[in-house]
This record gives sequence, C-alpha cells and structure tokens, in this order.
Amino acid sequence: MEEFLQQLLNGLAVGGIYALVALGYTMVYGVLKLINFAHGDLFTIGAYLGMTLLVSSRLAGSLPPVLVLLAVFFMVALLVALVGCLLERAAYRPLRKASRLSAVVSALGASIFFQNAIMLIYGARLYVYPEDWRPDFTVDILGFTVPGVRLLVIVASLVLMLALHAFIQRTRIGAAVRAVAIDQGAARLMGINVDRIISLVFLIGPGLGGAAGLMVGIYYGQIDFTMGWSYGLKAFTAAILGGIGNIPGAMLGGLLLGVIEALSSAYVSMAWKDAIAFLVLILILIIRPTGLLGERVADKL
Amino acid sequence: MMNSASRRRAASVILALVLAVLPLLLDRYWTDVCVSIGLYALLALSLNVILGQAGIFHMGHAAFYAVGAYVTAIVNTQCHVPVLWLMPLAGCAAALFALIVARPIIHLRGDYLLIVTIGIVEIVRIALVNDVGGLTGGANGIFGIARPELFGFKIRKGIQFYYLVWGMVGASLLLLGWLARSRFGRALSYIKEDDIAAEGCGVDVARYKLAAFVLGAFWAGMAGTLYAAKMTIIAPESFSFMESVIIFAVVILSGGSQLGVLVSTFLFIGLPELLREFSNARMLIFGLAMMVMMVWRPQGLLPPLPRRYRVRERLSRLLPRGAGDAAEAGNTREVPHVR
Amino acid sequence: MKRLFTALGICALTLALPLGVLAAEVKIGVMCPLTGKWASEGQDMQKIVSLLADEANSQGTLGGNTVKLVVEDDAGDPRTAALAAQKLVSSGVVAVIGTYGSAVTEASQNIIAEADVVQIATGSTSIRLTEKGLPLFFRTCPRDDSQGVSVASQIQKMGAKKIAVLHDNSSYAKGLAEEARDVLKKQGVELVFFDALTPGERDYTAILTKLKATGADLVFYSGYYPEMGMLLRQRAQMNWNVLMLGGDATNHPDLVQIAGAEAAKGFYFVSPPMPQDLDSEAARAFLAAFKTKYGGEPSSVWAVVAGDAFKALAASIAGGNTEPEAIAEGLRQLRDLPGLTGNLGFDRKGDRVGAFYRTYVVDAQGRFILQP
Repeated sequence: MEEFLQQLLNGLAVGGIYALVALGYTMVYGVLKLINFAHGDLFTIGAYLGMTLLVSSRLAGSLPPVLVLLAVFFMVALLVALVGCLLERAAYRPLRKASRLSAVVSALGASIFFQNAIMLIYGARLYVYPEDWRPDFTVDILGFTVPGVRLLVIVASLVLMLALHAFIQRTRIGAAVRAVAIDQGAARLMGINVDRIISLVFLIGPGLGGAAGLMVGIYYGQIDFTMGWSYGLKAFTAAILGGIGNIPGAMLGGLLLGVIEALSSAYVSMAWKDAIAFLVLILILIIRPTGLLGERVADKL
Repeated sequence: MMNSASRRRAASVILALVLAVLPLLLDRYWTDVCVSIGLYALLALSLNVILGQAGIFHMGHAAFYAVGAYVTAIVNTQCHVPVLWLMPLAGCAAALFALIVARPIIHLRGDYLLIVTIGIVEIVRIALVNDVGGLTGGANGIFGIARPELFGFKIRKGIQFYYLVWGMVGASLLLLGWLARSRFGRALSYIKEDDIAAEGCGVDVARYKLAAFVLGAFWAGMAGTLYAAKMTIIAPESFSFMESVIIFAVVILSGGSQLGVLVSTFLFIGLPELLREFSNARMLIFGLAMMVMMVWRPQGLLPPLPRRYRVRERLSRLLPRGAGDAAEAGNTREVPHVR
Repeated sequence: MKRLFTALGICALTLALPLGVLAAEVKIGVMCPLTGKWASEGQDMQKIVSLLADEANSQGTLGGNTVKLVVEDDAGDPRTAALAAQKLVSSGVVAVIGTYGSAVTEASQNIIAEADVVQIATGSTSIRLTEKGLPLFFRTCPRDDSQGVSVASQIQKMGAKKIAVLHDNSSYAKGLAEEARDVLKKQGVELVFFDALTPGERDYTAILTKLKATGADLVFYSGYYPEMGMLLRQRAQMNWNVLMLGGDATNHPDLVQIAGAEAAKGFYFVSPPMPQDLDSEAARAFLAAFKTKYGGEPSSVWAVVAGDAFKALAASIAGGNTEPEAIAEGLRQLRDLPGLTGNLGFDRKGDRVGAFYRTYVVDAQGRFILQP
C-alpha cells in the first residue's frame, strides 16, 4: 500500500509537469484549432533561456534567491512569449485561411527549426542547471518525504490553471478570446480585433510553455535540445485526454497521464509504459470520443 | 494556349522520361538517394489515399510500413521465401493490421484521430524494440535479409534497385490514379469535402474511410518489403514517429495530386541530402524551408485539378440532335474544388 | 614502332597518374552523428579526428602521403547512415572511420564492405558486427562480452548479493545488460530485477520506487550518462543508499553535474580509461593539442576511440599502404601502437585486442578516480 501511494505521488509529480506544458498547448488549440507542434520546442527555449539568465544573472548577489527566481521566471515567460508571437506572425498567420493541416506542417517545420537553432547556438551537449538553483528541501506529508519542488510544481500548475480559467471565463478580454474561439468572423463583426486576440493567445500559450521549461530545468536540473519533442508529445496526449481546448481538461489529462505512466511502470512493465499510456488513451477515446472533459461538438448540418 | 490539365500531362511525361534515364547520369550515391526518394514516394502515394483523398488525419503511417518490412524480414530470414514474393503477404499483413486497429477509431474527429494514429505508431515501435514474440530482434532489428531476385536475376546494385523501386512507383501511379478517378475515389473526395453531406447522399462514410485506410496500409506494407530488401537490415529506429511526420508533411505539401506527391517527395527527401555540405545546420535550413514552402503555397504545391465533365457530349449522345444545344452554357462545366 | 612507343607512353602515363595522385593524398571518410540525439559525441569525433589529421599532415608522419578527411553526418539513424556511407564510398575514400551506435554502424557495414573500403568502427560494441567475417572491418572499441565480464567481476568485488539490472532497450545497453546477466547467473548471483527504462526522460522515481521494493543491494545500469545522472540524483532524494554501478556509457563529466556531487559520490563504473587518466606520451600530447585548439577536454571516451581509429589508420598508411586491402593488412599487423586509450592492435576478426576495462569511482569532489 505504501508503495502504491508513493507511486501515485510520483505519477502526480510527473503529471503536474505534463499539465503545465499542456495548458499552453490547449490554449492555442482552443482558439485557433491549431496543433502547435512547436510548443514543445518553445518549452525547450524556456529551459535554455532560464539557464542562461540564472548563470549570467547579476541579480544573484544583490537580491534574495526567491526574488531572483521570480524575476527570471517572468523574464523567461516574456521572452518565450515574444518568440511565440513572432512564430505566429511568420508561420501561422499566413495560413489561417488555408487547410488546417497546412498549418500543422508549418508547425512541424518550426519545431525542427527551433530544435536545431538551439543546437547551433548552445551546442549539442546537454546542460545542467547550476547547483545553487536546484532547491533540495523536503516536506513531510502523512509520513512520506516529498521533495519540496515536486509540491511546488503541482501547486504552480494548479494555480496557473485556475488563473487561466478565471481569465478566460471572468474577464472582458477572456470573453473576447472565447468569442474568437467560437467564430472568428462573427467576433470581428462584433468589433473584436481578432488579430490582436490571437497575438495575445500566442503570448500566453508560449509564455506558459517557456515557464514550464524553466520549472523542468530547476526541478530536474538536466536539459537538452531534444527534450521538447517528447514533452510536447506528452502534453498533446494529455490535452487530448482531457478534451483538447478545455483548460481544466488539460490539467486533468496531464495528471492522469502521469499517474497512468507511474502505475503501469510499477505494476505492468517499465519498457511498455508509453505503449500502455497510449493504449489507455485510445480506449478512453473509443468510449468518449472528445476526451474526458471535452464537450460534444454538434456536427454542422 | 495550353490549359493546366495538359500542362500537367506534359510535365508528367517529361518527369517520367527524366526518371527513366536519370540513374545513367548519376553516381552511386545519388542513385541511392533516388532509390530512397522512390521508397518515400511509394509511402506518400499510399498515405495520399488516406490523407489526401479521404481527408483522414493520419500521422502514423510508419506503423503500416513497419509491419510490412518486419513481416518480410521475419518470413525471409526464417523460411527463406524469396523477398519479392513476400510483397503481397507484407501488404496483406499491413492491411489486416490496419483493419483491426482502424475499425474502432475510424469515427473519431480530426485531431483525436491524429493523436490515436501517433499512438499506434509509438505502440508498434515500442513493441518492436521490446522484441515481441522473440521475432523482431529488439533494438538490433533483423539482419541478413536476402537480396531480391527478379526472374532469376539478383538485384544488388543501386541502379537495379532504382528501376525496381521506380517501376513500382510507376505501377502505383497508374493503379492509384485510376482508383482516384473511379467511383471509389469520388466517394472519398466527397467525404473529404463534407462527410455529413456524403452520409446524407447514401455514402457509407465509415466503410469508405476504413477501405481507404486498408488500401493505404496495403501499399505501405509493400513499400516495407522493398525497404527491407534494399537495406538487408531493419531496426525499429527506422520506423519512428518522425518518419511518419515526414511522410505526412510530404503529402500535405504535395497538395494531393499524384504529380504533386512526386515533386514534394523530391523536395523533402532530396533537400536534406543537398544540404549535406552545411553539416550541422542542414536540419535548421530544412525546418525553415518547410515553413517557407507552406506559407508560400498554403494549398500545397499541386492540388488536384477540378474535375471536368463533358456535359454536351453526354447530352448529345442521350438526346436527339439539336436538343443538345440546350446545354449551351459551355461544353464543359467545372466543378469548383472547395477546400 | 612509333605507335608502340606512343602506346607505351600512354600506358605509363595512365599508370603514373593515379600513382602520383595517390602518393600525394589519401582520402579518409569520417562518418559521425553531427545532428540528432548523439550530436555531442559526433561533433567531438569530428573535432578529434580532424585535429589528428592536421597534425599528421603538418608533421609529415604518413610516409610521404597526406590525408584528406571527408566528413559525413549519419544523424544517429540507420537510414541516413546508409546514405552517408554511400556518399563516402563514391567520393573515393579508402577507409571510413565510424560510427557511434551499433545499429547505425551495421546499416553502413554492407555498403562499405561491398565497395571494398576499410571501415574502423568506433562506438559500436555489439558482438555480431565482427562475427560476419568482413575482411576490411575493424573497431577500436571493445565488445559487449568483454565488458560484461568486467562488470560481473566488479559486482563480485563489491560484495553485492541481490542485483538489479537495468538497461534502456538500446541495442548497446541491452546487449551489455544481457552479457552481464548471463555471467552473473553462471556465478550464481541472485538477480532480482531485469527490465528497461525509457531513455530521454527526466523522472525515474517510479522505477526507483519499484527497484527499492525488490530489496536489491546493487543496481547496475548499462545505459548512458544522462539517465544514470537522474537515477543517482533521484535515488539520493529518496534517501536510498544502494550501491550503483554503471557501464562505460556513463563515463562522462556531465554525469556528476546532473546528479550533483553529493549524489554521485560512491558511484562506480567500468570503462576504458580516458586519455586524461593515462600516463602515456600519446595521451598527454593529444590532450595538450586538444586543449589549445578547442579548449577543454574531450568529454566522451567514444569520441576518443575515433581518434584511435585514425591513429591506427595513420600507422598503416605510414607503412606505405594506400589501397584498402593493403591498409587492412597493415592494420592486422599492428602491435602495441601507443593510442589515446591504451595500446592498439587488432585480432583476426578485426576486434581490438587487449583487456583495457578499468573501474572508476566518483569521489566526494565529483572527480572520477581510476581504481588500481
């Protein structure tokens, strides 16, 4: 039983990170119906930028570490958001009227481009976050020793999810985002600046992805230029599992995916873990074709 | 003034002639690159049935390719059946596999289907790596696959493979082209444009989609045989998700016509080879080129031309002389191609 | 008569022409993963070999010949490797150095062998590569079975009773894990666990939790350093004090950085010695040259064995061999050539002779200490 609970906890911690990456994924999808395959690489960019800032940061001596981390966090989110926004301008906006799959191919190209750009800038070797920035404190909960950063990751993704949900549901701009998601043409007629809303979405989504990259860097310490591809794929899986386009769904899907992986490597087979996760996904989709929290979309008639 | 249909026909003829004499002008390396392009062209043509014609979001084509290649490799190394004889068997195995996996998922909507097909290719790869049934050789793969023989003639040189593979491509172009113009192909494009309307008109959408899947998988399985025969060793890395992504991108960039598929395969597989001198930066340029090409031609390089129906000829055959003039609006009517 | 002279003259010219060209320049191919997941090792391979080639050319140690390198990227992928090999052999190389990864090397083997070109594989330890009887194939890395024996004897030395063996399902790591397992079984050691993890991930806590429950007192991981680093770090976070042993793919300075010095302390691994640990003149000279040209030290021993491949080739070419067959014969006759990772020589199958596996342990400062 203790082992089971420990595994559940392991799964939730991994799932928290999937959820964090999936939030940005699902946000972009929800508005543009675009599967942004480059999201994983924006996440990698966040991890590399975070490392560069932490290593070279002059702030380190003058400010308390928590403030430095916060400052770096916002800087990374902002920089990656800008990259995301530029990406949208250059590679997705010209394709908005074209078939959706054309944009998917453009996104795949962007993914290859970013991955190799990082390799050329930083070199192919993997990087490690500086030791001082990898907090190693532990917390005792119900007799379990839990590394504190794990809790932070889960809490952070929960907070971000709630904030994003509130932003979309409660604010005026959020309403505009929802309107654009439902019908761009009608939204434009209602006086909403669709281009600006989409740019905003491409600030928030990649910004979240970049922040997630920084958190993975701090949590695990090890980053490399190919990491975004697999995290991106996991996040896509998580978003689909929860019902793509749905923000609480991304959270649920991420956590669930993490737990499925942990439990299947504990009780079935480690080597088959990813296959089992996909199998579960397929089974869930057969039963619920639009994911766990996805709304049933009425077919147009 | 040539219209676009005859322009394309001329381009096809020129392309065929060029391809026929090409290996005589190339060195061994470029011949091999062209063999590789031919294999991808086969895969892209087979995916085009599913993705281009029926509009099913399918990003896991490498799974079927892998099934074909592994069936060939296993049967050839264990039972010593000549490789080329195994082509139909490999095709059938891949088709059967497609039938089993696609049946429960064929009703899923676009993006959900996309992730499921990605899942399938990952499951297949993991199964191959884990040496399922002790047959696939794990990460090592299978080695020692025999060279193919054609009428007692052993194929081993690049140039011989070139003609074998491109001969197969030629046959596929004819067969799949004929199929695209048939009732079956028309049903598929109807489904692609509007599956609800198609259903309403009495097209059994699920069955047609499944048929497209199975047909595409059959072709991919046969391409797998050729791949196994060419490489003589196969390993799971060759059938990764990235491979599926490349084939997917080839089909989308092509726009969906057969000529487009060929041109786009040359671009996608040939380009990284041309960029070799940039060594480290070659994939960067490749990714950039992918974006630029899509932005430059969002509808793909060569979308299929709108179909032409010769209304007057038909009418004049049906009706008595003179009455055909009623269809005076023009002797041909174009059905616009809507995306 | 005049015609005869002309004919003879032409014959002489055609004979002399290639001879003249060959004496001046010998083309050597280098096939390595410049892009893809092993790009770091591949780029180091290129650096090291070109460093040595420049040296040999400028110092004229090649018996009057010069070498020209032709570098091709195999991206760590069999299909690309087949094309790269094809490109190399059609560019007229007499020998190919590379590549990293047994499955990748294997995809190139036939092409290079059919073109009658010498191949010296570097980081390709799978046993069957040299069991095919290819006369022009060599390698400067050891085979999995010799490492398996070293691993098993190290486990015995560490006095562990219950062993967990973990690999990453790559051709190399699985081969090594199986070799070690078979030797251990013969010795009657209890194996409590044998399975693969998924490489490239960050979180291995689920696996460690499972391993802990098996009650193992030593975990042997046969895969690469990024995963080993995470395993060590996350094991320390769990407060689990189990002995950890790695194979030669964990020999990388980044290992300690990933794990953190605290968590890496007391980690053992078996590996061919790095040049920085060898007290030979060849190793010292190489390290000094590498430092001046690129700064720092080569990070992976698998890139360094590419340098050994070049050294062996250079020795054979210096002996006056410029044709593939002759070069191969020259390689077979090499005995105790001072290389970067110890003395070089090949057996009949083309495998490197000599047992050069050593054990390292990580000390409290995170340094790799070569064990006697």
